[in-house]
Amino acid sequence: MLFKKLLIKLALFGLVWAVVSVLPLSAFVDSADEIIKKVEYNLNGKTAVVELTMVVKTKRTERTMKMESYSIGNNKSFIKILYPGKDKGITFLKVDNSMWQYVPRIEKTIKIPASMMLQSWMGSDFSNDDLVKESSISEDYTKKLLEETDEEYRVELLPTEDAAVVWGKIIMAVSKMYYLPTTVQYFDEDDMLIRELAYTDIKPFGDRFYPTRWLMLPKEPQKAANKTIIEISNAVFDAEVDESYFTKRALKRYSK
Amino acid sequence: MLFKLALRNITAHKKRSSVTALLTAIMTALLVFSSAWIDGSHDTMIQSAVEIYPGYLQITGKEFRANPSYDHLIFDAAAIEQELAQNNDIASFGARFESFVLFSADEKAVGGMLTGIEPEKEVHLSRLSSSLKKGEYLSADDTNQVYIGHELAKRLKLGVGDEVAFVGSGADYSFAADNLKVKGIFQTGLFDFDANSAFLAKGYFDRIMVAENYATHFIVLPKRPQQAEELAAAIADNIGPQYQSASWNQTMAGLVKAMKLDSIFSYITLGIIFIVIFFVIMIYTFLAVFARIREIGILRAIGTTPKQILALLLLESSLLALISVVIGGLIGGAFAYYFHHNPIVFAGMEEQFKQYGLAASAMPTAFMPLVILRDMVVMFGLSVLSTLYPILKVNGFRPVEAIHHV
Repeated sequence: MLFKKLLIKLALFGLVWAVVSVLPLSAFVDSADEIIKKVEYNLNGKTAVVELTMVVKTKRTERTMKMESYSIGNNKSFIKILYPGKDKGITFLKVDNSMWQYVPRIEKTIKIPASMMLQSWMGSDFSNDDLVKESSISEDYTKKLLEETDEEYRVELLPTEDAAVVWGKIIMAVSKMYYLPTTVQYFDEDDMLIRELAYTDIKPFGDRFYPTRWLMLPKEPQKAANKTIIEISNAVFDAEVDESYFTKRALKRYSK
Repeated sequence: MLFKLALRNITAHKKRSSVTALLTAIMTALLVFSSAWIDGSHDTMIQSAVEIYPGYLQITGKEFRANPSYDHLIFDAAAIEQELAQNNDIASFGARFESFVLFSADEKAVGGMLTGIEPEKEVHLSRLSSSLKKGEYLSADDTNQVYIGHELAKRLKLGVGDEVAFVGSGADYSFAADNLKVKGIFQTGLFDFDANSAFLAKGYFDRIMVAENYATHFIVLPKRPQQAEELAAAIADNIGPQYQSASWNQTMAGLVKAMKLDSIFSYITLGIIFIVIFFVIMIYTFLAVFARIREIGILRAIGTTPKQILALLLLESSLLALISVVIGGLIGGAFAYYFHHNPIVFAGMEEQFKQYGLAASAMPTAFMPLVILRDMVVMFGLSVLSTLYPILKVNGFRPVEAIHHV
């Protein structure tokens, strides 16, 4: 009898325990903030050394460029153009919100002025601002979870009041499996879709997964024929990256 | 008979007549001169804005003006050149390639427009060469020698002979960069233009920007600039639908609109002044006619019909108006003529003009006899009209009333 009561108690306890232990599972669903933080960490790592190919297609032309990029977190990065031969050795340095460029042909380091930040970067559909401001998504935007499916979160990013950003709204779809973005839609202040960036072909690099194909499609009618594809051929994360890359002197020094 | 009477009445009341005449004459002179001034200054502003750089007629790729990207260039400049060379209504033409680049003298960079021009042709097409301030203008076989705006040179701290680098993208979107040497510095007076523009000889420009046989614009100087619009349409028919040919009316639509708006406001101001003057003349005629009411009463009493009196009074006011309008027109016209040949110079006003994008401080008036005649007719009509009410009013009295009127 006593045993039976004990059994019932145990069963009840077990049931409660089971319920309690299941409950937090749903309560622990990531907040939009956490999703974005994870995404940023997964995209940038502590450090990253990436080799990539960028193909820029316009109505008339198609150009291929190869480059390597070194970065620490999302505040410092260094990019060196490897191909085509004509542009080889052009280097870019980004530290916080500033950007410099070194051009071997004229042996000159040029700081890119703030007014030029919206200009296309190397003729692509990415702007200088993309390289610089990408870092500030977690700081400059408020996040809201719009939707959750089995595979994806859809997060809406709206600029905070005093943020000096270009976009009126960003909608990011995030893969639940990898915590990596799948598509990012950029809207202007009038809620017009200006461009869409799709991350695909996720591959493992060391202990992490990384999208190796980035496709940027401008959605403005006059740029309908344009697109920019970035393909990552190699990536090493969280290895030691020499701090000396992130100085202005490095622009010339590592240009060769 | 009526005419004699009218003339006698005018001369008999010398003071009254001369005041009315003076008032009308001054107003006519004012109107004539004001319209000459408004038209003249607007023409000058537009002409100088057009001639400094944009030109009377531009040919571009069809979508270039709406969306100035390298996708909408003129990709066969030679074909356009051939077409334009055959046109007898064209005085001169030349190709340009405009490109947005970063200029950098030290580490600091400044965005601006680097344009490849055909230096000899450009002499006829714009005021670039005549705006030379220091150094020399470009020549066709120049290489990395740049002709740079005064304000841009100032921002980059450059003098003649100094080096300046630029980075930009070539017509094939490839990376373009070069070190340039300042050959000359120009100042058109248009601040924005002088602060953003630099020029290279197109031969060299085309090599470094991968732009051979390409152009962003062809600039055309018509033999008769006032017919730019017709010429633009004629050229458009010949060069085909992938290009656009536009006269300054279209390319500088903003300025043309601003000038029109300015004219409207000027005429509204004039209009208000004229309404006041209209009533002054009317009141004055009222007093003048009422002072003669007994005389009119007597005229009626001895058998003159109201019609005859109306004709007499109208003739008087018309004669007076005619004399005053002719005098006023002559005075206003003389001023318009004088300032047409000796433009009014606004030393020190350049800054205000520049805000309009205008680089002219000397403003000639327009001297157009037809316009003067138009203004004189308007003033004649107005001054006769202003006397109509008092005349009709006084003519409405019965003779006895009129004679006893005090």
